[in-house]
Amino acid sequence: MCTSMHCHSAPPALDPDAPIVLVGHPNVGKSALFGALTGRYVEVSNFPGTTVEVSAGRVGDWPLIDTPGIQSLYARSDDERVTRDILLARPPRVVVQVADARNLRRSLLLTVQLAEFGHPFILDVNMTDEAQARGLTLDTGRLAQVLGAEVVETVATRKQGLDALRARLDVPRPVGYRIRYDGVIENAVERLTALLPSDLTGARAMALMILAGNADLAARYGGENLAAIQAIVAETAARYGQPLSYEITRQRLRCVDCLLGQVVQDSGKPKTTWAEKFGRAAVHPAWGWPILAAVLVGLYLFVGQLGAGVLVGWMEGVLFGQWLTPVAEQLVRLIPLPLVVDLLIGEYGLITMALTYGIAIVLPIVLTFFLAFGLLEDSGYLPRLAVMMDRPFKAMGLNGKAVLPMVLGLGCDTMATLTTRILETRKDRVLVTLLLALGVPCSAQLGVLLGMIAFLPPSAVVVWGAVVTAVIFAVGWLAARLIPGPRSDFILELPPIRVPQVSNILVKTVARLEWYLKEVLPLFVLGTLILFTLDRTGALGALERWAAPLVQGGLGLPPETTGAFIIGFLRRDYGAAGFFTLARAGQLTPTQLVISLVVITLFVPCIANVLVIVKEHGWKTAAWVVAFVFPFAFGVGAVLNFVFRSWGVVF
Amino acid sequence: MNCPLCGYAFDEKALTCYTGCPMAAVQGCSLLCCPNCGYQMVDERKSGLAQWLRKALKRVTLEEPAEGEK
Repeated sequence: MCTSMHCHSAPPALDPDAPIVLVGHPNVGKSALFGALTGRYVEVSNFPGTTVEVSAGRVGDWPLIDTPGIQSLYARSDDERVTRDILLARPPRVVVQVADARNLRRSLLLTVQLAEFGHPFILDVNMTDEAQARGLTLDTGRLAQVLGAEVVETVATRKQGLDALRARLDVPRPVGYRIRYDGVIENAVERLTALLPSDLTGARAMALMILAGNADLAARYGGENLAAIQAIVAETAARYGQPLSYEITRQRLRCVDCLLGQVVQDSGKPKTTWAEKFGRAAVHPAWGWPILAAVLVGLYLFVGQLGAGVLVGWMEGVLFGQWLTPVAEQLVRLIPLPLVVDLLIGEYGLITMALTYGIAIVLPIVLTFFLAFGLLEDSGYLPRLAVMMDRPFKAMGLNGKAVLPMVLGLGCDTMATLTTRILETRKDRVLVTLLLALGVPCSAQLGVLLGMIAFLPPSAVVVWGAVVTAVIFAVGWLAARLIPGPRSDFILELPPIRVPQVSNILVKTVARLEWYLKEVLPLFVLGTLILFTLDRTGALGALERWAAPLVQGGLGLPPETTGAFIIGFLRRDYGAAGFFTLARAGQLTPTQLVISLVVITLFVPCIANVLVIVKEHGWKTAAWVVAFVFPFAFGVGAVLNFVFRSWGVVF
Repeated sequence: MNCPLCGYAFDEKALTCYTGCPMAAVQGCSLLCCPNCGYQMVDERKSGLAQWLRKALKRVTLEEPAEGEK
């Protein structure tokens, strides 16, 4: 049951220079609306002290500001902080929230937060055409009545509904809808409001944001009452079993669901029963684990046996071994320059090494992995996998917000490093970046590693998995001890389980393969060129001798693996392909392959990841991360080798 | 399209790059990021092979005889 109240405050006296502020989630058509309202006179500048871009223009006589897309006003990111501060800086003429009619539940969650500011407000429900096409019918009249605010429908890309919106900009009025929270929160809001400056606009919104964890607002506006404010927040938080931000969002969502029930009709087809049952079982605390185990075993068999076994065997042995490489060798030997011949088909040749690794070995493995990953994505299982992963991360004691970048790391570590911005402190961001660099392989690398370990006996696979998992847990546990502060929750809306379309998975896989080859092959060529140069100049031999105490003594590996480690600095799957080739040539025993794969799994994922760490955290931090990860990876390998030798473990 | 991770519905054609993303400087970056959760995926529209396969599959589907014609 939701409770709300209506406030009928009089419209405030209008400041002629007060701006109209556009607010909304990312990609809801805000920029299209901004362009349609302002024409071409747009200024884009950074918000002071940040790299966040804010667009400014004019609608008639009034200034218009387009704020960055946000998820909430909890100020978890720079974008959210900038939008919040724009709303707090000076009373706007009117706040126009652009809402996505297809995702109205999420949009209304932001609406109820904006309503708490008490500013004049218009809800612009955009993309109504697409919502109607999906069978959603919205009663805007009823929504306006319930919210006590102006509501307009637009299709900004076609400039529909703009006249109605412009007409409402002339007579802005405050939104009447307010959520009535439970007694504990309402009491805290009342006490906090009394401690904030009396001339503050949006005091109720600010009190709720302080309760939700915006400590910077308390410090900024609390003045001499700061200690009292902090005491109220701590006292209120102690009344709940979960973070206050979660509790406040939960109560808001209850009201939003109530609102939706009154204004939206969904004529979509009901979900199938088996899918709902499977979807629930996949995140069940007990049933979820066997399902997860079955998925991982299926993935291992499909990628390992079919991809790395059958397909790589054919590509390497038949296509390259019998046809392409012999023909290429015949043709290349016609070139009268021995250096060029060696560069193309020598030990570190572009054809014999770069193309063979990239196409004969890696391509079949990533092909099968991308097919399987596409199936996980399109079936709706992937988000459930993320929910299951949340539990071990919680067990580590890691801040809940750290889960999202770690899950996203399975897609791409480089992009996941960017999402560490949602973490509140620099220390959190650096530690999660370190964990990502250390132990989370991206989807392509996971596929290659999975393909490699399929050649090992099951006991060796268990050892590899156990060591890597233990290292991630150990570092995660340590990180959790070093990261102070309250835990937060990982909130993810689960899409329904559905039967994937084969054509979609095929197209997606082909797109990924093309992207992978475009990104990876140049790096493979670069790595091979580096090895070729080192070999020709004699530096490779010197490096092998220099690294002998570590590679041969510490890790118990032959000197030939030094080359694989060198190219592993560029991409760890390229290094893994090097070990794979050595193992198939009989130069690595299964035990040595386990040690090699553990070390390479703990390497920094790729050179692009290092560059993003530099971009996000600066050279100094990137150097620290690299300086920690590589010696740590070799150290774990050395300990493993010592344990294997001491206990006489042989696979 | 719908994000494969969080299910958020968004128009990939209207996507703009994240502020501060180092890839934003590279015009023609072939990755899409979900505006809701940040999940990264390959943009099929920028893959020539995927476009070709999509068209080929559509052609095969259209050429299949309708129920009444069998």
